[in-house]
Amino acid sequence: MGEPRTPLEPPTPEQAAFLERAMTQYGKATYNFAYRLTGNEADARDLTQDAFVRVYRAWRSFSPGTSFLSWIYRIVTNLYRDELRRRKGRFQEEIPEDNAPQEFGGQRPLAVTPIDDFVDRQLSEPLSKALAQLSGDQRQVVVLADIEEYSYQEIAEIMGCSIGTVRSRLHRARALLRRLVERAQAQQER
Amino acid sequence: MNDHLSNDLLVDFVHRELSPADDAMAHAHLAGCVACREAYELEATLTEALRSAAKADEREFPSLVSAAVWDRIRHAEPGPFAKLAAWLRPAYALPVAAAVLIGGFFVSPLAHPAAHPTIAASYYLEAHAAQSAITPLSERSSSPALETSMIAPGSPRGQDDGAAAGAVDVVR
Ligand SMILES: [Zn+2]
Repeated sequence: MGEPRTPLEPPTPEQAAFLERAMTQYGKATYNFAYRLTGNEADARDLTQDAFVRVYRAWRSFSPGTSFLSWIYRIVTNLYRDELRRRKGRFQEEIPEDNAPQEFGGQRPLAVTPIDDFVDRQLSEPLSKALAQLSGDQRQVVVLADIEEYSYQEIAEIMGCSIGTVRSRLHRARALLRRLVERAQAQQER
Repeated sequence: MNDHLSNDLLVDFVHRELSPADDAMAHAHLAGCVACREAYELEATLTEALRSAAKADEREFPSLVSAAVWDRIRHAEPGPFAKLAAWLRPAYALPVAAAVLIGGFFVSPLAHPAAHPTIAASYYLEAHAAQSAITPLSERSSSPALETSMIAPGSPRGQDDGAAAGAVDVVR
């Protein structure tokens, strides 16, 4: 990714332990967060790698007693935004281009369906495709609010924007996702 | 109450982001309005589906990544792991190649404890425990593995607080 390959100072023992522990404890969460943002494993690996190099560089600026996960999500968010800007577009998704919710074959109308296997089998794939259609900012908000379950306030801190911006981005993103689900529902009822 | 609840309000309701008064109003309305209840169900299902899809697609942390991070720290130039990672990019991590690579890592000198920059774990954990006693753990994740907040050992609080003020510069 865009992270410069400038020489890094040799680690002090504390710094090395900090990084090792950070990767052991938070590597998986960070990688999955990056994967949900980029939509592909190669970019998620690069993003995660760059994020941990930044953790290494800036380890002393981490405030003990605060959430490490929020800190590294903020780093990933910034790297992701920089990279999006650099590419002037979007990441290459691993999922197919076609966003038509063809796969819906269930029998029950969505609004009165209990959240069950329908969600797992019928909605997951089209939703992944829909996520790919969101803008970078909208996608970050949806991932942080709906998947990572952060509050608007926490998301604002991670993304470095106002709560109002978080709210409006989430509203727009959800409206887009909703339209897709409603389209799928209409197909079902046909 | 004649006006139906807007979708945006329902999104905030699902995320528990309404003020107590608005939350109570939404609750009361949903109890008596079938149309809004259906709209609410749709929002709740959407959130559940996103969560469920993410869970089903959860990935392990690739050991290649941590190897590449250490590699970059040891060398100014991208080392063998970073190069291999770059080389693997178009192939999207062929499982066989990854297996060979990981196997190679474990027999390489990099895997030896002496070559790995380490600190006595006991020291680190003691420092962590000491800090934890005065600093409430604040990791918000529900996962037990993530409950512990990271503590920077060996750095006085004042110093960290000072550094934190400049954190944005370093992080951005
Ligand atoms: Zn209503």
